[in-house]
Amino acid sequence: MSNRVQQRQAKRVVREQLAKEARRRRAMWTTAIAVAVLLIAGLIGWGVYASQSSSSYRTPANASADGSGLVVGSGPVTVDIYVDFMCPHCKEFETAAGPTLDQLVADKKVKLVYHPVAFLDPASTNQYSTRSSSSAACAADGDKFGPYLQALYTRQPAEGGPGLSDDELIQVGGSVGLIDPAFARCVRGGDYRTWTQHVTDAASQRGVTGTPTVYVNGTQTDATAAAITAAVTAAKK
Amino acid sequence: MQTLTRAARWRAIQPWAGTLARVGLAAVWLVAGAAKVTDLAGSGRAVNAYRLMPYDVARVVGAALPFVELALGVLLLIGLATRLAAGVSAGLLVVFIAGISSAWARGLAIDCGCFGSGGQLAAGQSPSYGPEIARDVAFLALSAFLIVYPLTRISVDSALERV
Repeated sequence: MSNRVQQRQAKRVVREQLAKEARRRRAMWTTAIAVAVLLIAGLIGWGVYASQSSSSYRTPANASADGSGLVVGSGPVTVDIYVDFMCPHCKEFETAAGPTLDQLVADKKVKLVYHPVAFLDPASTNQYSTRSSSSAACAADGDKFGPYLQALYTRQPAEGGPGLSDDELIQVGGSVGLIDPAFARCVRGGDYRTWTQHVTDAASQRGVTGTPTVYVNGTQTDATAAAITAAVTAAKK
Repeated sequence: MQTLTRAARWRAIQPWAGTLARVGLAAVWLVAGAAKVTDLAGSGRAVNAYRLMPYDVARVVGAALPFVELALGVLLLIGLATRLAAGVSAGLLVVFIAGISSAWARGLAIDCGCFGSGGQLAAGQSPSYGPEIARDVAFLALSAFLIVYPLTRISVDSALERV
């Protein structure tokens, strides 16, 4: 083999090795960039969430001891009811089981604790779940949570569209006798939005993944009048 | 000769098939991330609904996940570090499949929360774990293809290769 051919071959080997080295370095950099992008994205998510969630909240009047629900009536047996004012099945539940619950309250057999959670905010264009829940807390301040809940269900908006506006929420309050300007201010100011967040978090923490969900003295029960009555009778024994 | 031409044809088709797989997988992540990013609390609840980790951890995972999915979608869309992005995709999908399977095995009644909805089943809806797993397995196949053949047409990776 001539010297020149050898030289050419050596050059080629060097060139190939340089190219290999460059490719390796490029791969390292792109990997590093991609890993950084993914990590930063995760941190952004965490940061955004941390800034959105607030740990301080005001507890409305007539709230349960842990502040995560609104109490109706007084009795030895506690019935926890998780509802979302946007949820059609919650309305059906209220229509079907409401009279039974009212009777149990009137007989002083049960204490109802309503937890108005905001699971379905994406189902309306204006976060109706959160806004209706926090205005229900405003109604509790005015000692009219029970009737307000009923009135909200009769005016339940369809899923996918806009929920009731603040004005309409105030109007609903007026229809059940909430004519105090403090109620209107409370609704418009979204005073209990952070409380709603607390209610929703507490529900999730308990393992509630859907609405309506009912617990009688801490044991999950079917959301029907018959099942609740049976559980209340059993719990009293 | 026959096998040779077939191999040649595969060499011609494979980078374009890879582009399809890459863009398809990118679309999956972008749609999944975008559906959840507007409701981070709901995303946290969806993770928590699996009852696989403490609530506070589930919330952090739920908040971070949509952004990671969006980032993966962008990486795949532009074709930067495709093999790594496909590897991370495959890892996530395996975790998702495991999570859905375990929810199924434990008899939980939840929505997978894959594309939002906070883990809550719509009213009167029963869980559809089978189709959800089948869907994720299909996405896993796309990821596997990209791990094996990461160099695809119209990608940053292939542009860098020619520098």
